[in-house]
Amino acid sequence: MVGKGKREQKIAIEAVIVAAITVAGLALQVITGGFNREILAFPANLILITAIPVLLILFKGALKHLASGSLSIILISTVTIIALYMGLVPGNSAKSSWPFALIYLALLINLTASVIIRIRTFKFRKDISFMLNHIGLLILLFSAGPGSADKARYFMRVFEGKVEWRAEKSGGKERAEAVELPVAISLEDFEMDEYPPKLAIIERNTGIALPEKRPIYFEAILNAVSTIERWNLVIDSVLYKPGFAPAAFVRVTDKYSGEATEGWVSCGNYFQHFKTLSLDSTYCVAMTFPEPKEYRSIVEVYTQSGKVKNGVVRVNHPMTIGGWKIYQHSYDSARGRDSVWSLFELVYDPWIIPAYIGMIMMIFGAITLFWKGGKS
Amino acid sequence: MMWDNFIWFSAASMLLWILGVASLYMNKKSSLTGNILISAGLVIFLIFILLLWGDLKHPPLRTMGETRLWYSFFITLVGFVTWLRWRYKWLAGYSVLVSGVFIMVNLLKPEIHFTNLMPALQSIWFVPHVTVYILSYAMFGAATIASFIAIRELKDKSERLMPLIDNLIYIGLGFLMTGMLLGAIWAKEAWGDYWTWDPKEVWAFITAAVYLLYIHARTQKYPLRIILWILPLAFVMLMITWLGVNYLPAAQGSIHVY
Repeated sequence: MVGKGKREQKIAIEAVIVAAITVAGLALQVITGGFNREILAFPANLILITAIPVLLILFKGALKHLASGSLSIILISTVTIIALYMGLVPGNSAKSSWPFALIYLALLINLTASVIIRIRTFKFRKDISFMLNHIGLLILLFSAGPGSADKARYFMRVFEGKVEWRAEKSGGKERAEAVELPVAISLEDFEMDEYPPKLAIIERNTGIALPEKRPIYFEAILNAVSTIERWNLVIDSVLYKPGFAPAAFVRVTDKYSGEATEGWVSCGNYFQHFKTLSLDSTYCVAMTFPEPKEYRSIVEVYTQSGKVKNGVVRVNHPMTIGGWKIYQHSYDSARGRDSVWSLFELVYDPWIIPAYIGMIMMIFGAITLFWKGGKS
Repeated sequence: MMWDNFIWFSAASMLLWILGVASLYMNKKSSLTGNILISAGLVIFLIFILLLWGDLKHPPLRTMGETRLWYSFFITLVGFVTWLRWRYKWLAGYSVLVSGVFIMVNLLKPEIHFTNLMPALQSIWFVPHVTVYILSYAMFGAATIASFIAIRELKDKSERLMPLIDNLIYIGLGFLMTGMLLGAIWAKEAWGDYWTWDPKEVWAFITAAVYLLYIHARTQKYPLRIILWILPLAFVMLMITWLGVNYLPAAQGSIHVY
């Protein structure tokens, strides 16, 4: 009974300390108006990351208390409560608040301490799952937290045939001023593949496609045929030249009367008006805008240090140069495939390699969870 | 068109899978027949995917219908591997059922031309990200049911279900963490950052954190009458992550709303 009472006392003390840290965070929040992560920028983050394990090893007396499992539970609960606030209150800034930053720091200390204690009695079979999960998480949390102070994101708009090195900081609320980056992009060409536009028979006034319950849209490709309600449609010719809107020459026959109509149909674009083909006073054939299938920028990229790289940047396939990753972000959507510029997002994250190492360790850790199950 | 043959390949696979699971349940002595039947179904399904791949000349990952094809395959595959490792017959059955739902959707509403995936979703990370999540939901769902029974049994001082529940939670968390990390790696490739506290990410984090609480509370040997209530709570968080996020006011503008 004495042991049990002692344990409860320890949990109570830990809970009070964590509550005190949270309250201190709230006070700092009120005084300073928010946690500015820039104070952790290099070399502050590196010092912090080194200091935590060094201090824990030096102050052995504190180590055991800081590695406490019940402390972990209290800290995870507190982080969960903060995350619930993030998830429920619209437009909050909890992720850059003092309470969150301090609890995050406490979690880093608790995690480091428990790894140090466990590492001293390391046995491969017994501890590998613990180590992969906890060290992986620790590296990831260091990179994603203090490390993120060195992260920077910019938008750069480059016109075809031009070189650009000025960019605007992204993520900020107001339009930021352009800054010069150590990376320059020369856009040789912006290209887009599209799905063929589609044809449908619509009610002229409402735009509702036929048949009303299950509208038929068929691709406007040469010799395509379709039957929509009482009309047979045949596409005799398709035109889609660069700079012009797509157009299809459609022949429509009324199944019952045999009456035939034909003409060009086009969805139009930024300078050409759309064109429909009237069937009667209510219905007409119309074309939808082609949807983008894939778009890409053919670029040459230079860094201040003299590196040059040629290649293609497309969605899901960023280009890496130095510590930078260059993403295809968007294009002039009014012009679609005829866009003469491409918008890139440039992300600088010197901590990405450790972050990946942490994630990969955790994936292996997750596999050990699956394989070993709950019998540890 | 290779797609026209889908009905034959999928019917053959489905038949083999159903017979396989039935055989696992009927034949108590040996699971060999069942295992062979399920494996054969997987091989046939994989052959269809590869033929389609050859036919399309690009990996079938560009439309909703093509994505569902991979779900059907991987869910059965991982469900089968989990059965081999942990002998949960119901999971083999469940994964065949979910797989069958995706196959039916593909047959009735193919969406192989009409719903083109936006370019950001055309990624090799998309399918594993979703598949392992679906499997973690299955494990956690089963653990939640077991937790209610275990709570009732506490009155009789019985803890017979605890090894099962712990096992389901560890396996489920393994899937959940894998899903989250694959999502993070994908996000770095597609959106420039591996974690942005997007609303769906916030709730996925909450869900994982609550299951972590369960695991840590178990290792600390806290009383079961408290610990067991964590599981229904965690499952509510899981449901909010999966279905509820889109309806929350804080989630407007999430990249996970399609």
